[in-house]
Amino acid sequence: MWFFQRLQDSEFTNWFLGSDSIWTYPTVLTLHTVGMAMLVGASIVVHLRVLQVAPGFPLDRLSGLYRIAWVGFLINLISGVVLFITEAADRVADPVFYVKLGSIGVALWLGVLIKRWLIDRPGPTTKLRAAQFLSLTAIGLWIVAIVAGRLMAYLKK
Amino acid sequence: MAGFSSWLESTAISKALFGMSWLWPACESLHFIGLCVLIGGAGLLDLRLMGLFRGIAIRDVKAFMPWAIGGFVVNLITGVLFLIMQPHSYLSSGVWWSKVAFIGVAGLNAMFFETRLSKSALALSPDAAMPAALKTVGALSLFSWFAVLYCGRMLPYLGTGN
Repeated sequence: MWFFQRLQDSEFTNWFLGSDSIWTYPTVLTLHTVGMAMLVGASIVVHLRVLQVAPGFPLDRLSGLYRIAWVGFLINLISGVVLFITEAADRVADPVFYVKLGSIGVALWLGVLIKRWLIDRPGPTTKLRAAQFLSLTAIGLWIVAIVAGRLMAYLKK
Repeated sequence: MAGFSSWLESTAISKALFGMSWLWPACESLHFIGLCVLIGGAGLLDLRLMGLFRGIAIRDVKAFMPWAIGGFVVNLITGVLFLIMQPHSYLSSGVWWSKVAFIGVAGLNAMFFETRLSKSALALSPDAAMPAALKTVGALSLFSWFAVLYCGRMLPYLGTGN
């Protein structure tokens, strides 16, 4: 616990949150939103396709959307770690933060499963029903992650 | 404009909505979900028009557009609610007006595509090279939507918003 408190009270945090420059907190926060648009935007399109929106869009070409999603994830992992440092002690004690991380983790994992089942080696269509269930679940989890992320801003001390 | 803001803020509807403490965060969450669906669906078509995802018929990429428009409608409604609740912080902000301007650019650009280019675009062979006009429309759209996102997220930190 003291470790997270030290991160939150560090020189870095003071500089990062206290600076008047738009290039510190506001820019990292905005990058986190850009990453979200790429990650969740591309993921939702993949899941909508699995749910038979745009049935003419070739399933194997969804791999291009996975690349966009992973770039978005990388942006948000990095910006997320920076944002976490500045409120580390508050966040490790915040159940909503774990809801957000958990739903992101499971949503990513469902996306990987769908890629294996339908995109990398297209197999029997019996998998489609199961994949559609996973897609519906993943969309729900992305919504949970976004709501949890928003709530965290309100539960900030 | 300041007079209009004061009037709007003094109306019963503005006070009643702002008085519901859950409404603001709920609208913010919806605004974020809407932006993901909008940028996901419209951004994919933009990339296709720019020449990426070659080999896929434009018709099959455009099939996601009803969802993107749905995301836009969600954000229009939640955006208007923000405006009714806190008119001063938006109407007095140059960044907010920039955001509105970029929405206008994206909208006019989409209308131009729909009325002037979409017929010939849909007739293109999936493997055809993209004409410069389509590449430009796609790039302008993608840039505008990210500019909208940038202005929205930076609104509390940039310029004169109070």
